[in-house]
Amino acid sequence: MNSIDPKRVHQTAEFKHERPLTTCRIDPSGKYVFAGAEDLNIYRWDLAQGGKTTLTGHESWVRSMDFSADGQWLLSGGWDGRVGWWPLGEAQPKPARMIEAHAGWVRSVRARSDGKLIATCGNDNLVKVWDAEQTKPIWQLAGHQRHVYSVDFHPGGRFLASSDLIGVVKVWDLESGKETRTLDASVMTGYDKKFAADMGGARDMRFSPDGKLLACAGITDVRNAFGAVQGALVLLLDWESGKALRQLKDGDYQGVGWGVRFHPDGFIIATAAHSNGSGVLWFFRPDVEKPFHTLGLKASSRGLDTAPDQQTLATAQADGHLRLYRMTAPS
Amino acid sequence: MPVRRNLGCNGLDHALSRRGFTAGGMGAALALPALAAAAPSADLRGGHKRILQIYLQGGVSQFESWDPKPGTLYGGPSRAIETSVPGIRISELLPHTAQQMHHLSIVRSINLKTNDHGVGRKIMERGRRQEGYPYIGAVAAKYFSPPASPLPGYIHISSRGLTDATDAFLGPRYAQLRLEGVKPPENISRLPDISSASFRRRNLFRLRLNRRLGNRGQRSATDLYNGSFEQAQLLMSRQSLFDGQAQARDLQRYGEHFFARNCIFARNLLEQGATCVKVTHHGYDSHAENFNFHLEQLGEFDRPFATLLDDLHQRGMLESTLVVVMSEFGRTPKINRNYGRDHWGASLSVALGGAGIKPGMVIGKTNDQGTEVADREVDGGHLFHTYFQALGLDTTRPHDKPGSPVPIGDPAMEPIRELLA
Repeated sequence: MNSIDPKRVHQTAEFKHERPLTTCRIDPSGKYVFAGAEDLNIYRWDLAQGGKTTLTGHESWVRSMDFSADGQWLLSGGWDGRVGWWPLGEAQPKPARMIEAHAGWVRSVRARSDGKLIATCGNDNLVKVWDAEQTKPIWQLAGHQRHVYSVDFHPGGRFLASSDLIGVVKVWDLESGKETRTLDASVMTGYDKKFAADMGGARDMRFSPDGKLLACAGITDVRNAFGAVQGALVLLLDWESGKALRQLKDGDYQGVGWGVRFHPDGFIIATAAHSNGSGVLWFFRPDVEKPFHTLGLKASSRGLDTAPDQQTLATAQADGHLRLYRMTAPS
Repeated sequence: MPVRRNLGCNGLDHALSRRGFTAGGMGAALALPALAAAAPSADLRGGHKRILQIYLQGGVSQFESWDPKPGTLYGGPSRAIETSVPGIRISELLPHTAQQMHHLSIVRSINLKTNDHGVGRKIMERGRRQEGYPYIGAVAAKYFSPPASPLPGYIHISSRGLTDATDAFLGPRYAQLRLEGVKPPENISRLPDISSASFRRRNLFRLRLNRRLGNRGQRSATDLYNGSFEQAQLLMSRQSLFDGQAQARDLQRYGEHFFARNCIFARNLLEQGATCVKVTHHGYDSHAENFNFHLEQLGEFDRPFATLLDDLHQRGMLESTLVVVMSEFGRTPKINRNYGRDHWGASLSVALGGAGIKPGMVIGKTNDQGTEVADREVDGGHLFHTYFQALGLDTTRPHDKPGSPVPIGDPAMEPIRELLA
């Protein structure tokens, strides 16, 4: 039995695609890993049998994916404004449903753990909550003033959090469809005076399994947004108080935080892309700002997921590689 | 090289920042004979020809604007949408402009052979690679400003400075007057503790000194300051332009952010007699996060520009107003590791329309992946001839410049004739 030790994390496999990857997910069975790319497709690698399958159906990049609660469906959010339902285990998955979810890019799609609801958000400044079976909208949640970047369901099931470009995190009550409070993540955005533009937004957002923390991966300290001169950050918010607890970062690491996951053993895994083209896997304690371990990556990392075994990690990287890592002693 | 020495000054843009100037103040009591006498109009076909120049500073991506390549290697995530002209598709980031496409044409085959901001800007503005030639706005001010023009001929609305000598040898009264937005330049008003009589005496004294300096061979310097004062006088006499807020209806149609307000202001300036109004929209130099930034920036640009274009049409001004949307270059086909696109002068686009331009055309094309011009390659020099010949100016004739003759347009270039109405 290999015990989990993040300090022994090491690469175990890599899969090459000819285009840069944008995001990745490992399915709940641990059999497949899916990735979006800078093309119109989703790619599936079979970790047990080997082989790569192309899933076609979107008309733009896919930057967000999730799985239905029963593990049978891949949900994809595309920058074509569509959300797709894919039978993930079929030999050649075709979208069973492809709905026009938002006017503008779908930046995030999440399924609630009970299988009943799906949440999406996009460039129409809306958050939408869908009946997962009927694929019909239940709530159309308006209130964000800027593009909405991420959504996640609170583990308790009643609340949904959404975050936007300028670091506004809204909490929605799914029983009433009302906004209940706003959390401040404005440290994750910056207005670049020289270029007269905002940059920010949580590129990934996750609740801790106990629902006490909300982690947002993105940027901070914007100095030159157009040159990627800003700090990579994971911001921890306290769910009960709504206050920012801690900024997890590695000194002046310059780049973008693209992925974050809570591990059942109590640590936090994050991935970031440095503006120089390299990447990093960080391992944090929730109560310490600096990572207790860092693994440098060959290329900018743009997506992160953990496998059901909680030992395996996947990253989607800008050099077109999907890479797997294990947080155990090398075998 | 037929170039006058650069005096390192940009007319009023410079002069208004000097407290010494404003202490003197200016007022409607001063006459403006010099400007009226110096503005030739021989090349006008009739009516006041104007230019609306929209400058997308930093280099707008051709892929995300006028020359989308969806689904291709370098196409990025943006899709192409239909426009009001069947067969012409532009980026989905420009939905409002797409509905005004019947007023515009696109040139998709510009190769500037430079990836440098300054060099690209100057080629696009001067129509030449050499230093020392005037910008589009200065040429327009020189040849299209009517006698007794009610406003400075070349007004540039921009939140950031530009140190280029835009007037070159034409003289400072044709240089850009830069305004930061819908607010008057600082120090425009006569100070309250200076009486109008004192103010008049100061200016008579200034003019006397200028004449004396001119007689001593200091003509360039005195011309420069006279030009600045004349532009200031024009502006001061029209302070009402800055007094009123935009109408609620306009804000509803254009939007309320600063670029929308600048577009409303540009329309008002053109209506009130300005000859060239350039509106710079910053924020396109997207070496990182190109797609998010173009979404944001073109999202700001699209509706105000489309509304302005429609307003010019509805008010009967488009027939006499050349409209051009340009940048100093485009952006690389290759998407870099930070989701950015870098500088790219080898294949970019402009959109233009209005006075003398055939609408609904696409000139030239890039190859399937947008990596190079595939047909009808043109340069900033071709565009420069095209703009002014569309307005009725013979760009093959020499500038109105004492001494050595300098052709208005680059003699090695010619207009894009198929675009000329």
